[in-house]
Amino acid sequence: MNPSNPPQAAEYGGDEVSAIVLDPGYSTTRAGFAGEDAPKSLIPTYYGKYNADGQEKLVYGDNIFVSPRPGLSIHNPIGRDGIVEDWDMAEKVWEHSFVSRLTGTKAGNPFQNGLNDVDELPVEMDVESEEKPLSDSPLLMSEPGWNPARAREKTIEIAMEKWDTPAFYLARTGVLSAFASGKPSALVIDIGASNISITPVHDGMILKRGVQHSPLGGDYISSQINALLKANNPQPITITPHYLISSKSAVEAGQPPQANYKTFPPDKAPDASYRALLEERTLTEFKECVVQVWPGPTRLSAPGPTGVSNEDMARNTPGRPFEFPDGYNQVFGVERFRVVESLFDAKAAIPDPDSPFPAPTPAQTIPELVKASLAGVDVDIRPALLANVVVTGGSSLLYNFTERLNQELMQIFPGPRVRVTAAGNTYERRFGAWIGGSILASLGTFHQMWISKKEYEEHGPNIVEKRCK
Amino acid sequence: MPPFKDEHVLLIAPGSQMTLAQLGLPETFTPARFRFPTRMFPAEKKGEYEPYRVREKRREVKVSNGTEAPKPDVEMKDAEPAAVEGAPAAEGPVKPEDGTQENGNEETTKTIEEVYYEEDPASDEGAIYPIENGRIVDWPCFFALLTHIHNTLSPPFHTPIMIIAEPVWSARDREAITQFVFEKFKAPAFSLMDSALAACYGYGTATATVVDVGKGKVDVTAVTDFTVNEHGRGVALEGCGGDAMTDRLVELLGSKGFTREMCEQLKRSNIAEILSAGTPLPGSSATARQGANPAAAASTGGADANESAPRGPGDGTQTGTEGANGEEDEGVLDVAAIVSGNTTEYLANIEKEKTTTKKGAADPKGTRLPNSKKEKASFQFEEYVQMDGDKTEAQGSPQYIRQSREIEVSVERFLLTSPSTNVGNRLTGGILEDIATQIHHTILAVPDATKRSELWDSLIIVGCGSKVKGFTQALLSVITQKFILSPSGTIFMSEIPSNFTTPVPTGTNTPAPMGQPGQMYHPAAQGVNPLLVAATHNNPGMPGGMPGTPSMDPNMALHYRSTGHSQTPISVKTLKPPNQGNSNAPGASSSSAAGNPGASGAAQGGHGMEEAIFLGAQMAAKVFFVLDQGLSKGYMSRVEYNESGPSAIHEYVL
Repeated sequence: MNPSNPPQAAEYGGDEVSAIVLDPGYSTTRAGFAGEDAPKSLIPTYYGKYNADGQEKLVYGDNIFVSPRPGLSIHNPIGRDGIVEDWDMAEKVWEHSFVSRLTGTKAGNPFQNGLNDVDELPVEMDVESEEKPLSDSPLLMSEPGWNPARAREKTIEIAMEKWDTPAFYLARTGVLSAFASGKPSALVIDIGASNISITPVHDGMILKRGVQHSPLGGDYISSQINALLKANNPQPITITPHYLISSKSAVEAGQPPQANYKTFPPDKAPDASYRALLEERTLTEFKECVVQVWPGPTRLSAPGPTGVSNEDMARNTPGRPFEFPDGYNQVFGVERFRVVESLFDAKAAIPDPDSPFPAPTPAQTIPELVKASLAGVDVDIRPALLANVVVTGGSSLLYNFTERLNQELMQIFPGPRVRVTAAGNTYERRFGAWIGGSILASLGTFHQMWISKKEYEEHGPNIVEKRCK
Repeated sequence: MPPFKDEHVLLIAPGSQMTLAQLGLPETFTPARFRFPTRMFPAEKKGEYEPYRVREKRREVKVSNGTEAPKPDVEMKDAEPAAVEGAPAAEGPVKPEDGTQENGNEETTKTIEEVYYEEDPASDEGAIYPIENGRIVDWPCFFALLTHIHNTLSPPFHTPIMIIAEPVWSARDREAITQFVFEKFKAPAFSLMDSALAACYGYGTATATVVDVGKGKVDVTAVTDFTVNEHGRGVALEGCGGDAMTDRLVELLGSKGFTREMCEQLKRSNIAEILSAGTPLPGSSATARQGANPAAAASTGGADANESAPRGPGDGTQTGTEGANGEEDEGVLDVAAIVSGNTTEYLANIEKEKTTTKKGAADPKGTRLPNSKKEKASFQFEEYVQMDGDKTEAQGSPQYIRQSREIEVSVERFLLTSPSTNVGNRLTGGILEDIATQIHHTILAVPDATKRSELWDSLIIVGCGSKVKGFTQALLSVITQKFILSPSGTIFMSEIPSNFTTPVPTGTNTPAPMGQPGQMYHPAAQGVNPLLVAATHNNPGMPGGMPGTPSMDPNMALHYRSTGHSQTPISVKTLKPPNQGNSNAPGASSSSAAGNPGASGAAQGGHGMEEAIFLGAQMAAKVFFVLDQGLSKGYMSRVEYNESGPSAIHEYVL
């Protein structure tokens, strides 16, 4: 090509728009464009609220972890059972998740945005002056399998009326996770932050009677760790988050911390909920670095195959050190197995009267949930489901979790073949439902599934019950 | 497609204040050839923009019988006051053709008004800044700026364009820019490269934590294997950039009559410096050697030089407030710093000094002390002063002359990053702490936990906000204080490992690990004069490894770390800039001055590795456009644009 030749005039005239996939969870909200392999936007579902200059201000996104603000309190629009409680705030948090990184603010009037020649301005058109964030992107949202009808209708109402999306679909997280691992039929075990759920999926359809969930998720494990730290020997450990510490000095393992603490005047100090949020950050690190699931095949409390009890075996594995933000550090031995044991064995729960979680009942443990779930589906498809167990959710990344789950399932169901699939990649495990949504929304055949704006206007929000089964 | 040529590549890196641009890739990579202020001025027609302030001027043209041309009226200056009628027509002597006069000697003269326009390159009045904190707030203006840059550089048609994207730009923003570039500039190929990735190219590394300190914001990005980790990324952290430091100076010095412009220049001067956490402020130093008390500083050269120049506002107020404070200060209490600085740390230091130090005699070597040891120092303040201010306001372009004068400042110049006394919206411990917290958050959010340790060990600090002397060191020391894990307890139960120096009488009671340059001191070393530590710890024969590396310490082998991963950070380091054999001396981002903050500063005001992003962009452009011809999907070609539209830009993973 000769550099002095002007290029051809052919120009792009298409209108390809990719859909937005929004996967709101209790702990984080994921959003991104369909067809991509990871959500571009990942924000905490928690939001902060504080007063400044006589006004109430809200903070969204990762920033709540970074800058403490005077009197900041932390809230979550979603209840512990995974169902939205505060719709106004849920809408705002969700909106932030896609506006901040994906759609952005509008470039403005197309006649003035610099992309068009403005030689002849047309007569003032009757353009709706109020810009809505999604007016040119279809939206696929996910929901937990036990989402009540009222909440589903409210969701489509927000999408259609507040965000002005041209097309909408609502899919179950379990179904989407099954898609993400390429299986139309699967038993999806989702270990989230607030809930663990078992969803049987058959040919891409959710089997509603088999859906089971219990609150033994990541937050429950955190409460178990807290109980462990409280009962710690030689002294109980309290977590002081980083924001309260200005500097720390190295101390020997087990020695009291030496740190300079920050003090805030009482009227400026962030709320206790803020501290809890940041303690949770440290606990997450603790889970990543220290916590391990006893791999089985038998329970931690059971005697081992060689006569040595499992506890003793665990005790003999080298401990793992962990340092808390104030510099206190300690090596954790067998305790690190105990904090998650109650996911499988309700009796193994560490008792803690102050915990927000009541002691788990046997029916809430994963093996029992799977049993209950399979009892709710047709006998014929049970073997197919057991051969396609899909493990997803951030808390399933606990070390050795899938090994233990496999052992437990094999013991309950010795007959049929049990196969546990779990993505090896951290992203794929954490964002299973989102990735499934991304695949689904970019399929050519999915186009007929969308609920269009026109249909919504004709039938009202009730249409979501008929179309998104 | 035929290959692109080096000399045709157009690079544009927009920033909130400056937009860097360059046409053609040089042999060795150099700082950007063109620097455009990121601002435009509204033109007369709505929706159009001009690169310079355009003043509309009216002048009265004398139309006399016969001659049309206005006559130079230099000789009639004395009559000017009389000429003012209606619009002030008088003009300073520098604009001879402007003045009009009617002294009555030419009866036939009538005046008509004529409008003409004049560009005023020095003014920023009425300017529109299209980018704020990295975010594009005014699209038409931003596009006008791009067009202006494109026109100024006037590349040939066969020019691939690379734009460095701010992290805060949303997907839609990127699409809009893509569309604009292809349709307005008819570019044959376009690449939109993330600024953090560009910084990695500049340093020649695949994995790094990039901290970009801009004007009003800071971006913290973890890049692993040339992939930007979007999750947990610190995008446009507000109130942490260079402006925040200026704001702090204004807060400290405003009461002494410093204007914002003065503070801005003070920040840029080489006497402004951020001391590593725990370094005592001069004048209150617990280490007695430097006895630089106010009395001594007053007799130093800096103060003497001040006598001849117009005095800065710093001094007068200082003596004024001294009495008001009503404190018996024995000549060691820097009242000014207390009045405005008011940090408890400062007061504690004073307290310490009162008990430990005797009032030292004036140090005759005071002038040769490094900046960080001097209590006072002066800097050259330059300003443009409008000549004959009042007269020229309405008519005629203002004329400026540059004046410079020395202004003396006290220890406030070390307090740029100290927390603001006005709590406002955030409970911050200073911008360094905010940045450190963000780095911690960003690295913890990286899903591949095995990479985290490497990320901590490869910090890249870029952006002009980091030019302030000592910034990098101070940031590292804050990270060290807050986040570095102690080498696991067992180390101290046994003998001290060989790469730990034995305790020395510097006030440290635990050994301070010394590594290669860039290794920060252990938290235990805080509160000690770093120079002293450097002098006493001088053992050059030390192996370059990290302290506490398991292989070095037999006790560490007991720690079972093979499953899962262990906690980070064990250490924190900045990356060494690559040696490119050009004039880019590693500036503030080189961390060789770990122990002596006074020694660096060679790159003050120059463009060192602060602009590594632009250097990286040149390197990346060379690779993508010239060397591999699109094999690595580094750019989007026009053909692809025509097929798939602007949203396809997201497939070009940069």
